[in-house]
Amino acid sequence: MKKSFAVFWKRNLAFAKLAIVSNLEYRLNYFVDAVLQPTLTTGIEILLWFAVFRGAATTEIAGFSREYYLAYALWGAFFARICTSWMYEFRMIQEIDSGSINAILTRPMTYYEYYFSQLMGYKFITTIVSMVIPLLAIAIFNLPTKFERLPLAFALEFYYLILVHSISFVIAASAFYLNKIYSFTGAKNLALWLLTGELFPLDLMPEPIRSLVIALPFSSGVYVPVGYLTGRLEIATVWQSFLSVTAGIVIVNAFGAILWKKGLKAYTGTGA
Amino acid sequence: MKTLLKYLGLYKAMFRASFIADLEYRVNFLTRIVTDIFWYIAQIVTFEVLFHHTQYIGAWNLEQMRVFLGVVFVVDALYMIILSENLDQFSEKVRKGDLDLLLAKPANSQFMISFQKACTPAIGNLVIATAWFVYSLMQMPNFEWLRLLWLIILIPCGLVALYAMRFTMASTAVIFARSENLQFIWYQIYRLGMRPDSIYVPWLKWFLLTALPVGVIASVPAKALLEPPAFELFAWVVILAGILIYLTNKFWKFALKSYSSASS
Repeated sequence: MKKSFAVFWKRNLAFAKLAIVSNLEYRLNYFVDAVLQPTLTTGIEILLWFAVFRGAATTEIAGFSREYYLAYALWGAFFARICTSWMYEFRMIQEIDSGSINAILTRPMTYYEYYFSQLMGYKFITTIVSMVIPLLAIAIFNLPTKFERLPLAFALEFYYLILVHSISFVIAASAFYLNKIYSFTGAKNLALWLLTGELFPLDLMPEPIRSLVIALPFSSGVYVPVGYLTGRLEIATVWQSFLSVTAGIVIVNAFGAILWKKGLKAYTGTGA
Repeated sequence: MKTLLKYLGLYKAMFRASFIADLEYRVNFLTRIVTDIFWYIAQIVTFEVLFHHTQYIGAWNLEQMRVFLGVVFVVDALYMIILSENLDQFSEKVRKGDLDLLLAKPANSQFMISFQKACTPAIGNLVIATAWFVYSLMQMPNFEWLRLLWLIILIPCGLVALYAMRFTMASTAVIFARSENLQFIWYQIYRLGMRPDSIYVPWLKWFLLTALPVGVIASVPAKALLEPPAFELFAWVVILAGILIYLTNKFWKFALKSYSSASS
């Protein structure tokens, strides 16, 4: 048992390292992806919040000052960058679509873990590289952030990534049944864009939508970790989010397992 | 005139071929429409929620912002139908050597690479976008419907500006081997144009109407509907469209000089 876990850990670490190395191969591309893009997004969102406060002619919205919203926009863009997945999802779909999945199926590992570890490796390096920007901006502009809360916020974010990957797995498994499903990825990411809280803090929504959206596991992508980090939320909400993400993981993976098993049985690979 | 008719005929044939190809995968066809509906919902919900807490964003109130979003959706749907697929696949075409085939055809290569594939599912989005646009106009008290005539000039000019920026950025794929992520910067720049220019500081607003003209895509047509006509601005937008078309053609010729075929 001990030995099998060591083997499992070693090979998954290798997948994660593979993702780090392959992403850093083209450094300019990576810099644009991990730093420049989220920086531009943050800039646009910050400008919007300036305009909102100018128009409202008030110092507070929903009990929080402009600085809180700027900090939210700043951290929100970077957390959103971490919790969005499309690259590995596209690859999985492509492999099932083209038949090249056969080469991976013959290896002594599961398809799920192969891409999960790669996703984690990629997100790990992206987190380290891209977090430099919000850390610097927070320090320079003195925006509200409780740095002692960072470890738990990241823990929730990386736990949420399991759910993100599970959803990607379900979408990829649909390629066994349907041809050309790349647009599913776009539809899913756009739906999550709103539900994670990247666009605005979810508590600004009117009731009952607010309670419903916050209770969904997707709020753990941006709203809960960023809200906790910026002092908008307290620890009880974070524990609730861990629970709701757990429920999400169980449900999505159960569905994914059925889709995968049935799909694999019906699959006639062409990528020999 | 003969050349124009030739290219119109060519576009018609390519559009028909695209429609047949898109209908082959019906689920994908429908999902693409749904994808954009999610995007519309995200934009609408964002502003509806923000207007719960403020009366104005930039210079506009909620009703005016809805009209602005209507213009954004219509322009975006047109861009999606005519251009998006061609320009999004640009880098792939260059890398895989498909550009060689286009260069060998007896037609203008810029035309071919820009208009070869239409994204016909987006016609569904255009219908939805137009419905929202009409709804938003009906919510406006005392709206002068004749102002819609401005859109006949300003929306095509906005599309030209959008095309010119996107095409120039996509053309860098001919010069650099890998520029996918450079293409992703485009989406961030595009987002600047998806917000009303009145939220920006004056120097940035000026910049977005001149050097990086994403401001003319939706903000200027929306201004024509919502504010007293700014004739100088409209004239500038028309001139700018002409300049941009000329410059994209120059840049394309320049980029092709450094092209070394990938399929040989």
